[in-house]
Amino acid sequence: MDSEEEYIYESDSGNESSENDGIGLEFDSDEGVGGAGGAIGKYKDLDEYPFEVLSTEEITKHMIDCIKEVNNVVNIPITTTRILLNHFRWDKEKLMERFYDGDQESLFHEAHVISPYKTPKQQTKDVSKSTGMEECDICLLKMPSAMMTGIECGHRFCTSCWTDYLTTKIMDEGMGQTISCAAHGCVILVDDQTVMKLLKDSKVKLKYQHLITKSFVECNRLLRWCPYPDCSYIVKVQYPDARPVICRCRNVFCFSCGENWHDPVKCNLLRRWIKKCDDDSETSNWIAANTKECPKCKVTIEKDGGCNHMVCKSLSCKADFCWVCLGPWEPHGSSWYSCNRYDEFEAKQARDAQEKSRASLQRYLFYCNRYMNHMQSLKFEHKLYASVKEKMEEMQQHNMSWIEVQFLKKAVDILCECRQTLMYTYVFAYYLRKNNQSVIFEDNQRDLETATETLSEYLERDITQENLADIKQKVQDKYRYCDQRRRKLLEHVHEGYDKDWWDYSDP
Amino acid sequence: MADIAVQRIKKELKEVIESDEIQRCNIFVELADDDYQDLRGKIAGPSDTPYEGGTFHLEIKIPKSYPFKPPKVKFLTRIWHPNISSATGAICLDILQDEWAASMTLRTVLLSLQALLAAAEPDDPQDEMVARQYRNNYPLFFKTAQYWTYFHAGGENSNSEFTEKVQSLKDMGVSDTRALIALSSCNWEMLQAVEEIFS
Ligand SMILES: [Zn+2]
Ligand SMILES: [Zn+2]
Ligand SMILES: [Zn+2]
Ligand SMILES: [Zn+2]
Ligand SMILES: [Zn+2]
Ligand SMILES: [Zn+2]
Repeated sequence: MDSEEEYIYESDSGNESSENDGIGLEFDSDEGVGGAGGAIGKYKDLDEYPFEVLSTEEITKHMIDCIKEVNNVVNIPITTTRILLNHFRWDKEKLMERFYDGDQESLFHEAHVISPYKTPKQQTKDVSKSTGMEECDICLLKMPSAMMTGIECGHRFCTSCWTDYLTTKIMDEGMGQTISCAAHGCVILVDDQTVMKLLKDSKVKLKYQHLITKSFVECNRLLRWCPYPDCSYIVKVQYPDARPVICRCRNVFCFSCGENWHDPVKCNLLRRWIKKCDDDSETSNWIAANTKECPKCKVTIEKDGGCNHMVCKSLSCKADFCWVCLGPWEPHGSSWYSCNRYDEFEAKQARDAQEKSRASLQRYLFYCNRYMNHMQSLKFEHKLYASVKEKMEEMQQHNMSWIEVQFLKKAVDILCECRQTLMYTYVFAYYLRKNNQSVIFEDNQRDLETATETLSEYLERDITQENLADIKQKVQDKYRYCDQRRRKLLEHVHEGYDKDWWDYSDP
Repeated sequence: MADIAVQRIKKELKEVIESDEIQRCNIFVELADDDYQDLRGKIAGPSDTPYEGGTFHLEIKIPKSYPFKPPKVKFLTRIWHPNISSATGAICLDILQDEWAASMTLRTVLLSLQALLAAAEPDDPQDEMVARQYRNNYPLFFKTAQYWTYFHAGGENSNSEFTEKVQSLKDMGVSDTRALIALSSCNWEMLQAVEEIFS
């Protein structure tokens, strides 16, 4: 995010219509709706999937527009609107519905804000009348009332303790939208204006703004950050789906799970696979030493104490669960037997797994090697593009037209597509249970793999003036064949999804 | 250590030491090193509980961002209690986790722990083995906890039957703490305890 600290207050200034127009139209036409832009063309075998790419500034605008839109209807402070919207995961309709249909007091209560219709509580703390001094419950120092402050709930602390408190929440705990009052048991949320006013360090301010944007994007089903390292663009879709989208940084990823576009394997299997690969060894799956996934939101959680009662650190989740069985914590008091039963079950599984582990490790290594191999080759993608570009220029100096040499670039495009598809076919195959259709799938896979390797050899071979015509024909024939085989393979898998052919196992 | 953390700990130490709680409730806290990060606490077992007469030592680690983060507290003295791990001394108490607030102090923590000894919450167990005994056989739980207090915390209420059983296991070459854990978790059934130790 850029400098403007005031973005949060920007919503006070009028000028709505122009901002509204800005986002929607500009990028529809510039970046094009799914399928129009560069690399996504690779995947044009897929149906149209409309999306747009936004910068963090545009997302901020979009967020402010959302707030304004609601504020045009409901007449409450902007800071309260923001908290309410966040409470409803930025679903305007849901908020409006509750605001007008339900009991407003309970709505404010639920969203952890003080009703804006109530007159603010006067702080009733023991102010020594003679000296005008108050004691801060955090630093335990007495200071002039002017140095004490608080939010609508009436709890007051000194400004420097507030600053420290907010800084810890933001920097250590990564909290943004959901920081509550510092008083014990008080759940009232600190609004963004107050936070910005109390923060001094610009680094912390920046992080806070980033967290706010982040939670806005993460709450919103129609938005996803581009997962490419250090890329800060956001993709906005019209309906969420497991479809490929392309960022302005040219990264192509699955909108649903954020991984590289992974057809033919589905998001859930891919996630299982990646987790498996990240684990050091097969057996460490069972020992899962110090981190586990939150059973509700899948965020990775580190165990930081001896207590088995875990609370998910994710802002939007906060699930309570048991470290041992990953079950919800709630029934553990009354029926902790279930947790024990799981222990036995888990122990038995661990034993069985060890027996099986040798055989399954070999199987795993087989698929993993092939998967890694294609991944490795893909990493040399730019290199290949660069060398092909060189060749193309060389050919143009030898009396070939620009049009005539385009086949080379096309060949590399297809080679990369094939490798990417192949890579994910090994994940799919790893979990696939054998049946008649899986045999056909494996034939398709073998076919595509052989053809792809041949194409790859052609492209690496020296292309000279003499054999040019000949090689051009060969390359074109081969990439057409590869492309066709790739489509065939994908179609077959998709047909299998439709007709329920695929059985999975967890080896 | 941040200034505020040190400043707070200094004030808090004074608070505990100056208050009459040392006499009244028998809580105590002192520094274990000079940089205010490592403290030792002591609480007396409340009367009319199996912990009566025992002194329980606590390890208190002060995080850098104290008081905005809770202190990390665990029992150094072994204790038989549903909300405290019999093996590690780890504590399941809300105010040491999510319910911590910066306005709480070491004094509140120690008093809360003392209250926890007086009123266990078996519905939110840290040690499931202990919690099970607490729910299924409270009299045996009471006797066991009392014996642990005698054994580890200097309590006065011994139990000749238990001592005998521990001794028989010691005669088999088992350390007495190991024997105590095995017997306690097997409801003092000798055969089961032996099986658990030697299997
Ligand atoms: Zn203060
Ligand atoms: Zn408050
Ligand atoms: Zn990107
Ligand atoms: Zn996906
Ligand atoms: Zn979670
Ligand atoms: Zn459990």
